[in-house]
Amino acid sequence: MARRAIAMTMALAAVMTMAACGRTQNNGVPSPSDASSVEPGKATGTITMWGQGAEAAALPALLEDFEAANPEVDVELTAIPWEAAHNKYQTAIAGGTTPDLAQLGTTWMADFATALDPVPAVVDTSDMFAGSLEPTVVQGTSLGVPWYVDTRVIFYRTDMAAEAGYPKPPTTWDDFKAMSKAMQTRAGAEWGIALPPGGTEGTDFFQSVPLPFAWSNGASLMNAEETEWTFDTPQMIEALEYYQSFFADGIADEDLSTAPGAIVAEFVSGETPMFVGPPSEIGQLELAGGSEFSSKWAVMRIPKKATSTSFIGGSDLVVFEDAENRDGAWKLIQYLSQPDTQTAFYESTGDLPSVRSAWDDPSLSEDERLAVFEAQLTDTNAPPASTAWTQMSAAADTQLERIVKSGEDPATAMATLQSTADSIGTGS
Amino acid sequence: MATTTAPTKRAAPVGAGAYTMQGRRRQALIAWLFALPFVLFFGIFMLLPLVSSFVMSFTDFRSSDVQNPLNVDLVGLGQYAALFENPQFRQSMLNTAYFVVVGIPLTMAVALALAVALNSGITRFRTAFRVGFYTPVVTSIVAVAVVWRFILQDTGLLNQALTWVGVVGPDWLNSTTWAMPSLIVLTTWRNMGTLVIIFLAGLQNVPVELQEAAFVDGANAWQRFRRITLPILRPTLLLGAVLLSVAYLQFFEEAFVMTQGGPLDSTLSVTYFTYDQFGFGEYGFASAASYVLFVAIVLLSLVQFRAFRSLD
Repeated sequence: MARRAIAMTMALAAVMTMAACGRTQNNGVPSPSDASSVEPGKATGTITMWGQGAEAAALPALLEDFEAANPEVDVELTAIPWEAAHNKYQTAIAGGTTPDLAQLGTTWMADFATALDPVPAVVDTSDMFAGSLEPTVVQGTSLGVPWYVDTRVIFYRTDMAAEAGYPKPPTTWDDFKAMSKAMQTRAGAEWGIALPPGGTEGTDFFQSVPLPFAWSNGASLMNAEETEWTFDTPQMIEALEYYQSFFADGIADEDLSTAPGAIVAEFVSGETPMFVGPPSEIGQLELAGGSEFSSKWAVMRIPKKATSTSFIGGSDLVVFEDAENRDGAWKLIQYLSQPDTQTAFYESTGDLPSVRSAWDDPSLSEDERLAVFEAQLTDTNAPPASTAWTQMSAAADTQLERIVKSGEDPATAMATLQSTADSIGTGS
Repeated sequence: MATTTAPTKRAAPVGAGAYTMQGRRRQALIAWLFALPFVLFFGIFMLLPLVSSFVMSFTDFRSSDVQNPLNVDLVGLGQYAALFENPQFRQSMLNTAYFVVVGIPLTMAVALALAVALNSGITRFRTAFRVGFYTPVVTSIVAVAVVWRFILQDTGLLNQALTWVGVVGPDWLNSTTWAMPSLIVLTTWRNMGTLVIIFLAGLQNVPVELQEAAFVDGANAWQRFRRITLPILRPTLLLGAVLLSVAYLQFFEEAFVMTQGGPLDSTLSVTYFTYDQFGFGEYGFASAASYVLFVAIVLLSLVQFRAFRSLD
């Protein structure tokens, strides 16, 4: 009797819980009117900050100056590795243990949008690259401030290019492919270029190299109204056929090693004289090759088809909704967005400043290689700020692996990717 | 004159209070108090997540809904239908089935052979052998993976050894046909130790007199094994099979550290698929996948209980 009563109570509780479920209209993303102001004056109290990678390693030096300027503040920085960061932020939001501010990858803004504090009006972002500000806007609200930007360009060996008969960098797709082939036949390289073959867990290969080629060919990821994904288009398929031809013609290695430092080592030794990379690779090359090597390589823009468009990434600084020291956090962000702080940050990490006036500093304006990056930054694109992008990127990586390693026809692969995209949806 | 003495009160036997209504309730209360720590722990950390994940598997719960858990839509059985329509999930089910169907008999056969050898064949250094077979079980999978990747890579030890015999070995971990068999061999090597210990214990139950009687009657070693040892070993075999199937149906670590589910999803298991979905924040979808796996484990265990049931 008692057992029946307990069972019935549990069943009733389950049914009532299910009945209570149901989404409301507002799905939690803050609106611009939710932005509240920041108290003027110096920062006080303790500010907790989480950062990833080399950027977190370079922060303590910059924070010293901030703490000197604001004597009553104490900044606690925690460094977390990039591979674990996305999960750690998810868990922190779920558990309510978020720090005051954090460094988020530009493609993560939509995933965490419901837990972020909108940017207050007092924080000035007018001098930043338009391409870097777009990914911070989720459903009309600006939720972060770009900290540094990175864009992908092609690193190539100038000495081997001259040997192959290309004293000046190629600009068109056909020239580019011919040059990489010539590097193998005439300059003695084993592989013409290091291109990511797709497939490895969580590495977002699709968005780093094939996608810029697709964008340069006029393809886009979503339709104009941003209501559906558009992978199954002739421009996307043509770009992927071009990409696949590098592997099919033996110019790129489909078993490319992704161990850290492997690509740089092969670049320095001349085995693989070209690769696509962000500006942080400049520092890696200088470490690996030394000063004499510096004259043997240069960078060039993504080869042009319809346009020469590259991927813009980087990190945004965000403040969490549940931040204990909100005012302090925004003041720290303002400090990190000042042109001289951005320049100092560039000098210690090699990450490009998101603030345009920081580029006027001689250390940046007189560098020829950075001039190429600055030119590329005028024509960039980024994946849409959608919660479904992480999943779509992984699905695209899977299809890329099929295209490269099993030689699957890009048209079939894109058709499959389109149906996966339709079932995943565009998220929110 | 009859003298009457007041009847002496019989001393109540110890525990007699248990037979009264009040006594029974008191005993029950004391029992519950003793059990309370475990019940609380179990309730909060096992029962609650179990029930909530079951309810979650019928909703479109995402990671962004954790702060407002009731702010989700009921999807019902449509979630499970979507699961079975997902080609990656179907592939992961096939991979898991392949792994289990090949891995369990292989591990049991190898472990049984080793246990029998240890029991009767090998007389010296028995402890050393037992330690040697059990060490892979307790070694960290990450350390094991580093060494095995070194052995299995294209220019690794295995392919070099094969060239001595004149055979050109494939790129084991990057080949869609050979990645799964490589993982099966790795898992067998790792888990045979546990079964060797269990089977060794079971073999102690086989009476030596029976074996000797059969030998006198003219049975050879294989006949003695098949007709005496195996039937007596049935309950032990059942234990081994159930332990292995629960572990193998959930295999994840080997694929995670060695091949990351590749190449081309050929080593993607149901648990790995669930892990990926949790990573994407699709908590409802992932919960549905884990319940499908749960049903599979229950069904397989029922089949094994039937197959290995005691014939007494």
